[in-house]
Amino acid sequence: MDNNSTAVADSADENTSGSGSQAAPIATGSSTTASDVVIETRNLSKIYKDFWGRKKVHALKSLDIEVRKGEIFGLLGPNGSGKSTTIKLILGLLFPTSGRVLVFDKDATETKKNEQIGYLPEESYLYQFLNAEETLDFYGRLFDMSGRQRKQRIEELLTLVGLQGARHRQLREYSKGMRRRVGLAQALINDPDLILLDEPTTGLDPIGIREMKDLILALREQGKTVLLCSHQLGDVQDVCDRVAILHQGELKELGRVSDLLKVQDVTEVHVTGLTDEAKKEIAEVIAKHGGDLKSMDNPTATMEDLFLNIVRESEARPGARRVTATADAASESDNAADGSKSGSDE
Amino acid sequence: MNLQPDDFWTFSEWLLRPGFFLESALLQGIVLIVLAIVLGLIVAYVISSARYGPGEGFFAVARAVRDFLTVDLPGTSPTRIFALSRLAFKEAIRRRVLFVIGLFVVILLLAGWFLNPESDDPARLYISFVLTATNYLMLALALFISAFSLPQDIENRTIYTIVTKPVRATEIVLGRMLGFVAVGTVMLVPMGLASYIFVKRGLDHSHLEVVEAEEIDGRIVGKTDYVRKHFHTFTIEKGETQGLTNFVRGHRHVVTRNDDGSFSIGKPTGQLRARIPDYGEIQFYDRNGEPKEAGIDVGAERLSDGYGSAGISRLIGVAKGARKLEHGYVEGGTLGMAEFTFDNVTADRFPNELPINLSIRAYRSFKGDIESGIRGSLTMKNPGSSAQADPIEFTVEEYQIDEKALPLVRSGTDANGETRDLNVFEDLVSEDGKLQILLKCEDSSQYLGVTKSGLYLRPAESTFEWNLAKAYISIWLQMTMIIAFGVMFSTFLSGPVAMVATAVCVLLGFSAESIYDTRHFIDSNIERGGGPIESLVRLVKQDAMTTQLDVEGVANQLIKSTDAIIIYSMDAIATALPNLPRMVSTAEYAAGGIDIFSAILARHCVATFGYCLLAFLISYFFLKSREIAA
Repeated sequence: MDNNSTAVADSADENTSGSGSQAAPIATGSSTTASDVVIETRNLSKIYKDFWGRKKVHALKSLDIEVRKGEIFGLLGPNGSGKSTTIKLILGLLFPTSGRVLVFDKDATETKKNEQIGYLPEESYLYQFLNAEETLDFYGRLFDMSGRQRKQRIEELLTLVGLQGARHRQLREYSKGMRRRVGLAQALINDPDLILLDEPTTGLDPIGIREMKDLILALREQGKTVLLCSHQLGDVQDVCDRVAILHQGELKELGRVSDLLKVQDVTEVHVTGLTDEAKKEIAEVIAKHGGDLKSMDNPTATMEDLFLNIVRESEARPGARRVTATADAASESDNAADGSKSGSDE
Repeated sequence: MNLQPDDFWTFSEWLLRPGFFLESALLQGIVLIVLAIVLGLIVAYVISSARYGPGEGFFAVARAVRDFLTVDLPGTSPTRIFALSRLAFKEAIRRRVLFVIGLFVVILLLAGWFLNPESDDPARLYISFVLTATNYLMLALALFISAFSLPQDIENRTIYTIVTKPVRATEIVLGRMLGFVAVGTVMLVPMGLASYIFVKRGLDHSHLEVVEAEEIDGRIVGKTDYVRKHFHTFTIEKGETQGLTNFVRGHRHVVTRNDDGSFSIGKPTGQLRARIPDYGEIQFYDRNGEPKEAGIDVGAERLSDGYGSAGISRLIGVAKGARKLEHGYVEGGTLGMAEFTFDNVTADRFPNELPINLSIRAYRSFKGDIESGIRGSLTMKNPGSSAQADPIEFTVEEYQIDEKALPLVRSGTDANGETRDLNVFEDLVSEDGKLQILLKCEDSSQYLGVTKSGLYLRPAESTFEWNLAKAYISIWLQMTMIIAFGVMFSTFLSGPVAMVATAVCVLLGFSAESIYDTRHFIDSNIERGGGPIESLVRLVKQDAMTTQLDVEGVANQLIKSTDAIIIYSMDAIATALPNLPRMVSTAEYAAGGIDIFSAILARHCVATFGYCLLAFLISYFFLKSREIAA
């Protein structure tokens, strides 16, 4: 996605997100003040004990993070690094061994905070015997929503996650990706201000992953706060404003994605329509200024882009097999789609 | 059916026990709830101080209590409870519990082969069978559906998506309980209807023809054919075309004489009854006419049971021994008698006659005339004056309810010693509405035995259908109780363990009387096999129950004291548990054709509500203090 931008970008910042239009909200996000803190953990530790109170695992050690209003915050780390433990502590599903978690300035164990929270668990733990509509209706009732409100919200969400066609099928018949979508819809039923997503992209196909990422970005557009944990680094890089990297229960790195990933002494230029002579000339100019040209190639599209293009085209013209596709064509048509998408995000 | 002293209590007598407050149900309930709260706080403090240290632990407990009262209880929303109970309902239906109804129908169909409609009292047999079958089936079902649901939700982590919504622990607990109660109700209703149809149809039979009929002075006396091992005799009065047969096996038929001289015999009537009894106070007199507290004990009457009604006062040792109403016997041919005093005998309640029902036992000290049975007599007497009607003789019908009616006018001796026709309400009923009926045995050296419930007036009758419904309500209450217990245990135990724990509670509840019995014998130093360890030793040594324990010195002490500890703790637990056998025994009323007393049903309702409240409180705190994701 990074390699095929047609616009000449003047900064390596471009590495971090799909297009310039998406970079803008990051700037507003960074200007938040301390009063906009949505989640705050203070010296948060969790030790898992066995039945006899003996220590088993020190899952989280003195974690101090703040998640601010309107940002997408990513928790990263390998398996068993304490990501899920942190999310469960924030939700009050676990009690801290020491330290505190404050969510909207309330203690994490208070149920009242849940009114503003949406949570998508690691796997969508839903009742298999309900269908999509019943599921959403049930969760809507848990928010004490009126019948009309529920009906309207269910329509919106089913459209959003693209399950209108499957609304009357029991969840047991659903594919993993469809369950994930229902899971997401139930997390959004109350129009929450804070959304916690545990591994949001697992089990989704590439289209689903792209849609999920677009949705997360759209949520930020609406001023919501998103906390997600994942080990799909690419996804985190694409959407997160800030990340915390955990390893063995300890916070190893915390900061803005753009800052963390910026490679200071490399300049990237994307140009179209150059002849071989022009390229040679540019190389000479670089050499003249003492630059060290590492590479000058035609970029390759990512597998994701190729796949998305094929699927989109197939949806537009069913039955035809795309035979003449080249990487360039793929990148161009994708850019067009990408541009329109980021436009709609605003 | 032999009623026990506490069966006669009114609702408020049961609740408050005026004069014996230690025995009152209210006290028992309060003690239970206070105990649960105090124990709960102590346990909670111990756990949380182990978790957070002594100071923090105290605040954690205080916070939990404050949250319960200020946030969770007021914040509990009917919408959420309804949504959660609907989910529990759907879940149970999904697990195909409705198959149990099918199972029940199969049981009924099989029972149709084995229940003998030719038995002495087929109505009792049928009704008690369907009620008992429904009862145990529902108890088992309640155990299964309630214990597994919550642990399964926690294991599947479906609970994550629920507790991360603004759902209170109160709502999760209440939602489950109500949902499962709804499932049980949905199952009980068809089971009740099936039972009703089964009983109705199982008891139905028709006599096809009249085998003998002769006309004596215009009166037709005849005999029906022999169906289901019985026949009836009947009389059709002069000038009438219809007559009634006699009562055999609790029922009779209408016989109609057709124009062509043939007879047609109608359906059986009167076998499904709900008599509303009016019991009197009983006073025994010995052979010399001296008032006695009890009648003669002819032996083999003293059985265990009847401890439970003493409540806490028995547990703490104030009330001792079993209280059971035993049959007291009066000796024939002497001044010995049983005197029943009835209140509120008015012309409004008894406009035509005094319907009276007898269930009396006979004890023979010699064989006598085996054909004719033992004779007794009933005498109406005014408790305020010496007015007394002439005795009405009858032959005792054992092992069934003998329905009689006393006339409203009967010759006798009035208050002035004159012999004339006495009117019951004018001459025999005292000014405060009391009437005495004296039961005597007329055969000398034979004995008649009654309890308070053995002789009663029957001012009214309720319908069998409503009585059956009341029996089903009693089953419903038991089911509700068990569901509450199952849900309670499932908030902190895994599914199978929660089920076993609930089952143990049910079994302890059912065997409570035997535990009380054992404790009574230990307390009063009576050798009756002792506690579990002593019993085991006796079994191994092949010693009789009533001998001294043949173990010397320290070992003896050790066995006895360990047994005492076990029995005392079991006693405390059993006292705290609901008295299920009492609730099951309401089936006896329905089977015996007696209207289930409203007071008894009300007691069961209140007790059920109390235990559900207790289970709800315990469940809430366990669920609240639990790390759902651990």
